[in-house]
Amino acid sequence: MLFSSVEFLFRFLPIFMIVYLLMPAKYRNVVLLAGSLIFYGVGEPYFVLLLVISVLINFALSQYMFWEPKSPQNNRKLKAKKRRKRALILALLFDFGTLFVFKYWDFAAGNVNGLAGSRIVPLLSLALPLGISFYTFQMVSYQLDCFWGKVSKRAGLTAFATYICMFPQLIAGPIVRYEEIAERMTERRIRVRDLENGLKLFAAGLGLKVLLANQIGTLWNTIMTAGPGGLHILVAWLGALAYSFQIYFDFWGYSVMAMGLGKMLGFRIPRNFDDPYVSRSISEFWRRWHITLGSWFKEYVYFPLGGSRKGNTRTICNLFVVWALTGLWHGADWNFVLWGLGFFLLISLEKRTFGKWMERSRVLGHIYTLLLIPATWVIFAITDVRQLAAYLGNMAGIHAGRILVGAEQFVRYLKDYGILLIMCVIFITPFPRKWYHRWKDRWFMVLLLFVMFWWSVYEIVVGSNNPFLYFRF
Amino acid sequence: MSEKKISKWLENIYNCPYLILIVMSSVIAIFSFDEIGVRIIPRAISEERAVSVVGDVVKAEEHQTQGEVPVTVEEIQNPSMLDVPNQDAVLKNPQDASENAGERRENTDNIAETNIQNTDVEILQAPEIEEEVVKGVTKFMPYEPLEIESRYYSDAGKIALTTEYPYTIENDSYFNDAAFLGDSRTLGIYDYVGLSGADFFCDNGMTIFKLLKDDGVTEQGTGQKVDLKKVLQERQYGKIYMMLGMNELGYGNTSMYMQEYMSVLKQIREWQPQAIIFIMANLHVSREKNNMETEFNNININDKNVACARLANGTDVFYLDSNPMFTDSEGFLYSEMTFDGVHLYAKHYDKWRQFLMEHGVERGESSVPVLPADAGSESGINETAVPENTGEAVPVPVEGVE
Repeated sequence: MLFSSVEFLFRFLPIFMIVYLLMPAKYRNVVLLAGSLIFYGVGEPYFVLLLVISVLINFALSQYMFWEPKSPQNNRKLKAKKRRKRALILALLFDFGTLFVFKYWDFAAGNVNGLAGSRIVPLLSLALPLGISFYTFQMVSYQLDCFWGKVSKRAGLTAFATYICMFPQLIAGPIVRYEEIAERMTERRIRVRDLENGLKLFAAGLGLKVLLANQIGTLWNTIMTAGPGGLHILVAWLGALAYSFQIYFDFWGYSVMAMGLGKMLGFRIPRNFDDPYVSRSISEFWRRWHITLGSWFKEYVYFPLGGSRKGNTRTICNLFVVWALTGLWHGADWNFVLWGLGFFLLISLEKRTFGKWMERSRVLGHIYTLLLIPATWVIFAITDVRQLAAYLGNMAGIHAGRILVGAEQFVRYLKDYGILLIMCVIFITPFPRKWYHRWKDRWFMVLLLFVMFWWSVYEIVVGSNNPFLYFRF
Repeated sequence: MSEKKISKWLENIYNCPYLILIVMSSVIAIFSFDEIGVRIIPRAISEERAVSVVGDVVKAEEHQTQGEVPVTVEEIQNPSMLDVPNQDAVLKNPQDASENAGERRENTDNIAETNIQNTDVEILQAPEIEEEVVKGVTKFMPYEPLEIESRYYSDAGKIALTTEYPYTIENDSYFNDAAFLGDSRTLGIYDYVGLSGADFFCDNGMTIFKLLKDDGVTEQGTGQKVDLKKVLQERQYGKIYMMLGMNELGYGNTSMYMQEYMSVLKQIREWQPQAIIFIMANLHVSREKNNMETEFNNININDKNVACARLANGTDVFYLDSNPMFTDSEGFLYSEMTFDGVHLYAKHYDKWRQFLMEHGVERGESSVPVLPADAGSESGINETAVPENTGEAVPVPVEGVE
């Protein structure tokens, strides 16, 4: 079920909220868990079983980690340490193993077969369970936190299952650490104001997703439909820009909706974006983009490897590992690896040379970031390596054949998408967020959000009622 | 309830205007709009709408298509077509026909072989045509249809092939008096084929139902919305190319589509008596896009194509199937030719250009068909006959030539 669907907005959410609010506080975790499993199960009737099994195994292993046998023994301390390690390794093997089988098996097998020149590893062609990358990372963070003793109060089964499956963040994050919500997990009060503000936040996120991301996405689709290779340099950049807007508003909108829903349920879900496109360097961009993923890699990969404390060579190696993994996390294909390694290159360069300088300069840093980010998103978006090369070539003004999409189409695109592009530019600045927070209780903002909500619903209905309109041939 | 509690409640209500607005409007919306209400049945809605557009004609048409294979007026009027001496002969050597047609037939043969099991595909030889009246024939290649449970379409059980006709090879200037009417794929022809002399009237999401409506169609080049009714009455075109059917896949049903196509053609014929009309096949979609669980699949597209191909009469209405150029042996659009599984990459439109050039029809003044006086076929367009007209005496060629 998508947040931006009629089923969620007008069936699941109202019914769930009524049940949730009417329940006494002590049953709310159970209601939330059941609701989340329904939410997930409607779209993934089989993989919901995988989710449940993963949760149970992870919970059992986290319990085993701290299980104390009744009979006292001499070297109990040593044994406990061993057991904790064993439990952790088993949990990591299970979590990453599942993720590998479902997400990376075919990619790895394809590469092995390609190298060997024959089919030595069979392809599985499994569908990707929705949200597996996100919930796997949450479970791993819990296991590692338990292992390192960072969890002050360990979760019971219901709390743990609720933490993993909670529907606002199950499918696409933010990746929440247990510590961040542990307190609210056992005790939370929902005030009417939380409902009010949560709903407003949700509407704002819905607007970002439906009114900006979905709309500007059609420009990228239109340009890609013409196909890379014959794009005029301006058209190629316009396409890259459109995709950059789309992916940002799509993901930011989703995260804001998650925060809003979290608020309505009595949680505080951390923010995932902090105006990333106004960064002055790529390093800064990644501190502001998908913040919870960045801090996951920092916390659970980069720091354990030694971070930047073990000398320059080691730092570069650590950065390499982190960015190769970040790339792979986003998808099992070489373009994602390339994308991640592109960031590795840029961030290492910034760390060693011009990063500080860029961040200090007001204009140059912004130009540098705004030129590079769309190019990185193109690498992210195009899976086929030959097409990717063609598109990047077009962005550099290189064409294999004649220009097929030229100035005439560029002008038409500007005419068709001009206002939307201006709106997108406004919304990548910090101002709309500031205005929202300053005036969210004023009547005009309430009215604006109200109109935005129903406009979004209208767009969703028009799209879902007749999917062929939505494709807009 | 204590006064304190009440005042607290009032304060709460005062503090959450947005919540109240949303909840109240949602309740109203749920009970007043089917789209978001509990009674949501989107298919039924679009069906209802479609029926109201076309009206009762549809019922008659539905009744007819369920029963038997409709016989075209053309066949009745030209009994010679029905008793061709070698009607049963299998076309042994595809190369007999023009080279181009031979290639294309091979291509489509493959579709039939892979898609359909245990069907002997027999393509019958074209009837010999007297030299004075060169008349094209639109052939249909049968195959074993699938059972389809959909209110939008059924499996036509045959593939419409390009009208056989001694086409001429043309150059750019041939298109100077041409008009193209269509959806986003026609827009692609405008954008990437580069026929600067022709007029293009097309929009994303255009349908045969919307084509002549007051809302208008965008005239590419000027970018203005124009009323096609007026344009077609004011300007005279030598050729009119039409390609519509993709956005109709989930709207109404195939017989309504055909009915509407026919009435649009009649209307255009009235305004454009001289024009040669080319009905262009709707391009299939890729394997990834093909979805048998929705209406969005090649069987439905083929159903639409067969429906509009039936309207080709071979004299001034021709059917052009460009699918063999872009589809694999199973009829799927090549994945490497498309981004979204629906539209071709710009670079592949060159082939389409070639195809259009190779399918020119030259008409001198004398050979313009004389319009018959009777109202029914006044348009000269191939119409599906109502069952009463056919009677039982007319043998129905179920497979083979249609």
